[in-house]
Formats: sequence, structure tokens, C-alpha cells
Amino acid sequence: MDTNGQALPSLVKEISQRKIDAYSVVRPKSIHTDESWARQRGFRAPLVQAMMSTAYVSEMMTRFLGAGFVKGGAMSMAFIKPVYAGDRLTVHGVVKEKRREGDATRVVVEVRCENQHGEKTAVGTASGLQRPEPRT
Amino acid sequence: MIEFKKLTYEVLKVGEEFVSDEHLVTPEDVETYAFAVDDHHPWFFEKSPFGGPIAHPTLLGNQALRLRHGRYIVHAGLHAKMEFEFLEPIRQGVRVRSRGTVVDKYERRGKPYMVTEFVTEDEGGTVLVRGRFTQMLFRD
Repeated sequence: MDTNGQALPSLVKEISQRKIDAYSVVRPKSIHTDESWARQRGFRAPLVQAMMSTAYVSEMMTRFLGAGFVKGGAMSMAFIKPVYAGDRLTVHGVVKEKRREGDATRVVVEVRCENQHGEKTAVGTASGLQRPEPRT
Repeated sequence: MIEFKKLTYEVLKVGEEFVSDEHLVTPEDVETYAFAVDDHHPWFFEKSPFGGPIAHPTLLGNQALRLRHGRYIVHAGLHAKMEFEFLEPIRQGVRVRSRGTVVDKYERRGKPYMVTEFVTEDEGGTVLVRGRFTQMLFRD
């Protein structure tokens, strides 16, 4: 079955300061966990660490491809707009390509994260391996 | 003994190498990460197709991202790009270390950037994750 163009189930993430604190570790003079420092650096609120978006994409891909993402997966992301504490991100993925790789198929997904205003915050691709079901 | 310097574009050298301390991946690490990113997949807490529980593939990204903190004082920077290859699952109980090399630095629209390639290995030298990231440096 040709699944190019298949949309993956999207993920929605409400990102609280408490979650940022757990991810980035609370430190003074951090744009992620020190609100006054973030404002001093010109941001309206503490920033969500961009790496959290890679974790969301990883979750989406692990749900989609399972072990073939955990071992053999890849990701390339560009972070194009800041994400702030309290924002809600939605992660989208669409299958763009399938190609043979050894005894497996590499499935390439175009991914993007959008904030609650519909603005793209991160874009890129993620891929993983799909293996044929073993015959019984 | 390391003499920490403030990280600036001028001080940073292409070819500079970094190495992290060794870190033991614990169930508490995984639980904290699961809370932070709200991803409680059962493979992180029970059996996985790789045997016992594993960690989120991106768990060790911050070990790589913070490599420069082992030599420099870094008060702020913005992450511009991230590439990962997940070569092996990260098993809980493994000791890991990241190594990185600054492969490029450049200025674009007046803003300075650094590019680092990294690998994260277990204690046996097996590469678990490798990748490349671009960080923007703040000028004071």
C-alpha cells in the first residue's frame, strides 16, 4: 500500500514552566528557568528548550514506527520561532518518502510543530525503519 | 583543573574538542524526562523489544548540548538546528559519555553561530547516538 501523504496522529503538548524546569534543570541566569534573566535577554517569558520539540517528534515517531525508530531512527530539525512557557504545541507529521534500506524500508516523515496561534516553531524531517513482519 | 572562560565567538575555535563526564542512566532520569515531555510510553518503564526498559531516544541530547559548558561559562544561547541518528537503544543502567567537536562557526545577519558534531557512547565504546547541532551565541 502506498502510504505517501499519510498524516500521522498529531500530538498536543501543553508546556508548563514546571515541565521546562524538569527538562532544563532550574538554574539562575538561564533563559529557560530564570524569568527575570529571560526578560533581560529580550524574551517576554522563559523559553521552552528547543530540544523538547525533538522529544515530541521522537514520541510521534516511536508511536508510528516503534523499534524501527529507537534503533535506526533519525531526525533533522530547524527551530524557527521561540516557544514560551505556557504555550501549547501541536506536532504534525506526514509521510513523504519510502525507500529500501537493506532488508527494511526507511520511512521519511515531514514534521512540524505549531504553537496555539498556528505559527510554525520547528520544521524538519524524521525517519525510521519499517521491517517486514516475520512469517510464522 | 579547568580554567573556565566566558564563551564568545572570538574565543571559540573550529576543531575544538569537548568531552562530557560519564553519566549513569537511571530510572529516575527516565521518569523525570517522561514527566518533562509528557511521554510515558511503557517501554520506558517495563519491558521493551530490546529487553528491559529503555530511555527516550532523545534523553541524552542535553548531555551533548551542554558539552561546551565543560570548558566555558555560557549564560545564554539559542538552539538553531538539531540532527540526531539513533543507532542503538539507550538502556537504563548504562554509563554514557558524549564527545563533540566544533566543526564550524559563522556569522549570519550579524549573529554568531557555532556548529558541533557529537557522539554519545556507552562504557563499551558503542555509539548510541550521533548528531550535529547549531547554536547561536548571544553577544553582550
